[in-house]
Amino acid sequence: MLASILAQVPWQAPSIDYHAIAPEIVLAAGIVLIILVDLFVGESKKWVTASLTGFVLLGALIPVLTLAVSDPDARSLFDGRYVIDEYALTLKALFLIAGYVVVLLSQNHVEEGDYYQGEYYTLLLTSLTGMVMMASSRDLVSIFVALEFLSIPAYMLAAWRKRDRKSNEAGVKYYLLGVFASAVMLYGMSLLYGVTGSTLLSEIGRQITVDGDFGGVHALAIVFVVVGFAFKVSAVPFHTWAPDTYEGAPTPVTAFLSVASKAAGFVALVTILYVGVPQAKDVWQPFLWVLAALTMTVGNLLALRQSNIVRMLAYSSISQGGFILMPLAVAGTGDAAGPALQAVVVYLLVYAAMNLGMFAVVIAAARTTRSGEISSFGGLFSYAPGLGVLMTIFLASLAGIPPLGGWIAKFAAFRAVLEAGNGWAYGIAVIGAVNSVIAFGYYGNVMREVWMKPAPNGETRAVATPTSLVAALTITGAATLLLGVLPGTVLRFGDLADLVGAFGR
Amino acid sequence: MTLLATTPTTTWYLVLGAVLFGIGAVGVLVRRNPLVMFMCIELMLNAVNLSFVALAKRLGDIGGQTTVFFVMVVAAAEVVVGLGIIVSIMRRRPGATADDIAELKG
Amino acid sequence: MELVVFVIAAAMVIVGALGVILRPNPVHAALSLVLTLFGVAVHFVALEAHFLAAVQVIVYAGAIVVLFLFVIMLLGVDRTEDISIEPFKVQRPMALVVGVGVIGLVTAAVSSSRDAIGRGNGLEIPTVTGDNDSNVRQIARSVFGDYVVAFELTSVLLVVAVVGTVMLTRRIKTGKGES
Repeated sequence: MLASILAQVPWQAPSIDYHAIAPEIVLAAGIVLIILVDLFVGESKKWVTASLTGFVLLGALIPVLTLAVSDPDARSLFDGRYVIDEYALTLKALFLIAGYVVVLLSQNHVEEGDYYQGEYYTLLLTSLTGMVMMASSRDLVSIFVALEFLSIPAYMLAAWRKRDRKSNEAGVKYYLLGVFASAVMLYGMSLLYGVTGSTLLSEIGRQITVDGDFGGVHALAIVFVVVGFAFKVSAVPFHTWAPDTYEGAPTPVTAFLSVASKAAGFVALVTILYVGVPQAKDVWQPFLWVLAALTMTVGNLLALRQSNIVRMLAYSSISQGGFILMPLAVAGTGDAAGPALQAVVVYLLVYAAMNLGMFAVVIAAARTTRSGEISSFGGLFSYAPGLGVLMTIFLASLAGIPPLGGWIAKFAAFRAVLEAGNGWAYGIAVIGAVNSVIAFGYYGNVMREVWMKPAPNGETRAVATPTSLVAALTITGAATLLLGVLPGTVLRFGDLADLVGAFGR
Repeated sequence: MTLLATTPTTTWYLVLGAVLFGIGAVGVLVRRNPLVMFMCIELMLNAVNLSFVALAKRLGDIGGQTTVFFVMVVAAAEVVVGLGIIVSIMRRRPGATADDIAELKG
Repeated sequence: MELVVFVIAAAMVIVGALGVILRPNPVHAALSLVLTLFGVAVHFVALEAHFLAAVQVIVYAGAIVVLFLFVIMLLGVDRTEDISIEPFKVQRPMALVVGVGVIGLVTAAVSSSRDAIGRGNGLEIPTVTGDNDSNVRQIARSVFGDYVVAFELTSVLLVVAVVGTVMLTRRIKTGKGES
């Protein structure tokens, strides 16, 4: 019976380019491997899972590198639903390296903090798999699945410090708002599907044109999708979950959420805007303009008032998100499409390096101070000069002082905006410039504590920084300095022709 | 009798979906029990599914139904995780509402 | 006939949805949710999505609502929530405005651009399925063809979701050297 039915249906298995999806395969195998290994190693040997996670991430980086040097420039699977081009590979590499640094940050924190270690790394790896997938997704279904793939483990990681009320609360808040945002985004996607008849972004891009029957449904669909992603990248006024979640979650998880998770949200947003709805720029440009202006300003003003360093970094990360939105808000105007894409990618790379580094310093310093208050960092330079100097470098980079990485990122963002060259662009550039100045206030405040204030309890004995943290500090510190001194290395990634072509120029 | 012969069009389904989505959104904003808020989010997801299926029929394209299939799979995973998080918080503080959960403010 | 089915199912959906947001007792809310989910399943059948209708009943109305009820009972939060107290005065009117706004906007948009919807790639409109069992077959081809990577990865997601949830809800381990 079954055989006869099957015989009627000619079925051809899809041809899959296994080289192209090798990073995802390595990661999926790694997840299963770590779950299994975790079952069989004793409580005292759980650190093995951390090292294994590191190896899996580096292992997944190998196919990314071979794909980068291999022959066809862009590989397209399933009629363009899954594309591996330069844009995707750059961001995959970013996610994998950022993930590796987060593993280094987590190692001691998780070991000493009485967490379930094996599962912690499993969740981290799953979330990273979702991000790696997101970089290649060019289809509404893949984007949705990738987004949930990276969010669901992140909800659990935020609540991982079970005994702590703040962590519980961080988990619940992040979860409810995250799922709410997904529902809003999906509703937008359903309308988008309705007006274009396809889930494929390139097909949607062909269908949505300004001439003809561009109507209310098109505009609503785009607004819903953008609002959904605005939650994910914690743009004001959809940011309310971020400070609470960042403060309550374990610190390495906060570093992960504020860098990798946010970057993945931006990647999806950029893909949808550039490939899916570039022609509808009259709808999303003003909307993103308002979001960018609000995000920069509100994030900055609230950061000024914080006394807890993680909370301050949370608001600073919201405000940095505004700077990433800024070039997108004018991406469809004039010749800004290319520079805007370049600015976003460069900003994401630099921001990952400096923000992870900042969190590494906070985690290392908190081993001595046992506190998250900014005042507890007083005199850090006097008893831990290395950490003091590094903290200064990262803070200066976040503030955008040349010649550090953050300066190059801000420079690229402003250049893209000025490329657009109309009133809207100049307006947002002025708001951005004012905010860059305000940001000196709170970054400088921490610097003053580190260099000028005495240690709070006369504490002068620093706790030794473990090797894994030293490694994380080295990677992020070197990246922040190098990107600033040799901007050519990173600005080269701006040559991302594939997505810019979507604007039809 | 002619009224009975009318067949519902895609627009009717989309409006029904919008109403369901709106009710769900109001519920999320109004209710304070995390469990009930989560049920309201399920309402919103069902509105999404209804729209997708109605549009899939209208377009004669299976893609919409496939999307709904993925939404359902992922929603199942979400429910498991969400209830896990809610259990871990409520077991320590029974009767907690979204307002009581306010250790973090400002 | 189709009209009657639509009206009855739509009534189930809306009454159930209102029940979820208005009933103070979480158990009643969960049971109202079942009504909505069944209503949606009926719509799925009317829209020739047979496979999804079955999944809707089995997974949503079956497994998920049972899970909700189980958690409500486990935690003993089946007491009536006093929804007459509202800590933030502006929140309710604001929520109503948002809700009515969303419904109004979408309704206006879909009815004004009725032509744009579903015209899509300009194809004539065939019905999804020729005969009854081909719906499952079409979904299978789509899932195992174009979306196979996403599909296989969701299996990993489900495993990880279970592992993580077990760890989250497990009793907190008492000491480091315990096991």
